[in-house]
Amino acid sequence: MENKSFISLYWKCQLTGWTVASLYWTVQGWTGGRFRWDLALVQLVSDVMMYILITHLYRTFALKNRWQDLSLNDLWWRILVAIPVMGAFYTAVTLGKLHLIRVLFLTNNPQRFADFFELNGLSIFMAGIRLMAIWLLAYHLYHYAKREIRISGENARLELGFKQAQLDNLFAQLNPHFLFNSLNIIKSLIYTNPGSAGRGIDLLSELLRSGLYSGTSMPISLKEEMELVKDYLELEQLRMEERLSYHLDVDVSLSGRIVPRLSVQALVENAVKHGVALRKEGGKIDISVLEKEGFLYLRVTNPGRFERDNSPAGIGLRNLRERLVISYQGQAALSLVQEGEKVCAEIKIPIQ
Amino acid sequence: MKTIKVVIIDDERGARLELLRMLNGYPQVTVLGEAADADEAELMIRSLRPDLIFLDIQMPGRSGLDLLETLDHLPHVIFVTAFDQYAIRAFEVSAMDYLMKPVREERFAKAMSQAIERIGGHDEPSVFVKDRGRYHLIKWKDIQLIESVENYARLWFGKNQVLFKTSLNKLEENPDCRMFFRAGRGQMFNMDFIKSILKEDNAMTVELTTGELIRLSERQATKFKNLRRQ
Repeated sequence: MENKSFISLYWKCQLTGWTVASLYWTVQGWTGGRFRWDLALVQLVSDVMMYILITHLYRTFALKNRWQDLSLNDLWWRILVAIPVMGAFYTAVTLGKLHLIRVLFLTNNPQRFADFFELNGLSIFMAGIRLMAIWLLAYHLYHYAKREIRISGENARLELGFKQAQLDNLFAQLNPHFLFNSLNIIKSLIYTNPGSAGRGIDLLSELLRSGLYSGTSMPISLKEEMELVKDYLELEQLRMEERLSYHLDVDVSLSGRIVPRLSVQALVENAVKHGVALRKEGGKIDISVLEKEGFLYLRVTNPGRFERDNSPAGIGLRNLRERLVISYQGQAALSLVQEGEKVCAEIKIPIQ
Repeated sequence: MKTIKVVIIDDERGARLELLRMLNGYPQVTVLGEAADADEAELMIRSLRPDLIFLDIQMPGRSGLDLLETLDHLPHVIFVTAFDQYAIRAFEVSAMDYLMKPVREERFAKAMSQAIERIGGHDEPSVFVKDRGRYHLIKWKDIQLIESVENYARLWFGKNQVLFKTSLNKLEENPDCRMFFRAGRGQMFNMDFIKSILKEDNAMTVELTTGELIRLSERQATKFKNLRRQ
């Protein structure tokens, strides 16, 4: 739809623009005396057709080479080259046409083409340069503006998505079921085991701080992320006790790698909520990090069955997926697959 | 002072301990047992017949709501949940109380005093039924007719009906259903709803105030007459 309306706008501009330019010459001819209607009409129609042809050929060429997508830096010198080239074309067809008209209509005053060229060549070339420069600037200005509007729209959308992800993350981190159950267990521990109660408050504080008050610095080191994951699991263990166990397999050499904040944690929380917590006998969560061919693979495995239409599994992971898309421009991936009796969630991110 | 028999059902040991601690302040309460999931709880409730249960909704395996649907003798129930807004929204049941974890002492005291009053007084025996995604608490005395439908019993109360997973044989043995008379293989009716009795030779037709007509065979009619004579 957009394309179609643009073409029609393009043709409208071409026709009006060149008709107005050609009418200017017609008026010039009219005021200059020796005016002939038939000649004026031929001149007008041929001018409009020829100059539209030249510029349209340029447009076809530019579109084919996707010049409309070029940045200003790559575009300006192309335009600078295009102006004299098109000016030369303009000069050639104009001279050819004028000479032809002279030969065909003004037989009483035959002038040699070489003389005619010598006399008018430069001024026609200058006019061509002027006209083509105007045309090219108008054409590319329009496209540039259009592109800018599109890009700023896209940026706004991304920005909004990012804000939404932050907000979702906040809510996900505030997972009320987790928060209130944790508070409840801490309350219980205050009476039975004050030491553990204190520990529980420390862990919960750390998680809330990281989820809520981390500010805009979203990525953190893998080491820090693993600390958060351990805090989270320890807190869940206060609740689930021996039903929840885990194993961490992370090479120390990867400690400094940068990962999105609360990414592994989101996978682990998902594994607890939709895997271990649903099983009476509980289960073990395996967390491993691997580096391969320029990518970092963060894997979390839990016992259980993955149900595709199990929508509650959504919010946390959907939000993580969104964050990955924004942070890595599509180079990262999040997958969730069934492997035998286990569900394996994996994030793949390019190493920065 | 009547003893109140309690069962606590929650998958987290810490959460159960917390309830036990709060119940410490009630000398009339005896905690019969604790269950960590619905299956364990079902056995415990069937064998121990508690007056009151504290019930978590989200548990591994069956949920607390699923558990209630399987019970034909319902104790007084207090839900204790961290954050189950959706489950609670599905309730048609104002008669049931729920507490939010962590539970405030005042709120707990209020729920307990209500429970004690109900249990001490004449709390009408009820049944917990899920119908089209919503939960209902129906008093047995409000049901006029029960029909057997495969593995379910269809409970008629007024113009409404719900399906409840049980058998008529089970209901006949349920002391909460004493007011029902078994009229043949597929029907039980509430004797408090009888409007008129029509004798036909040795058989009988009972008309209920809600309009249903129930035919009793000769054998059932005799049994019915004997029951009425007592």
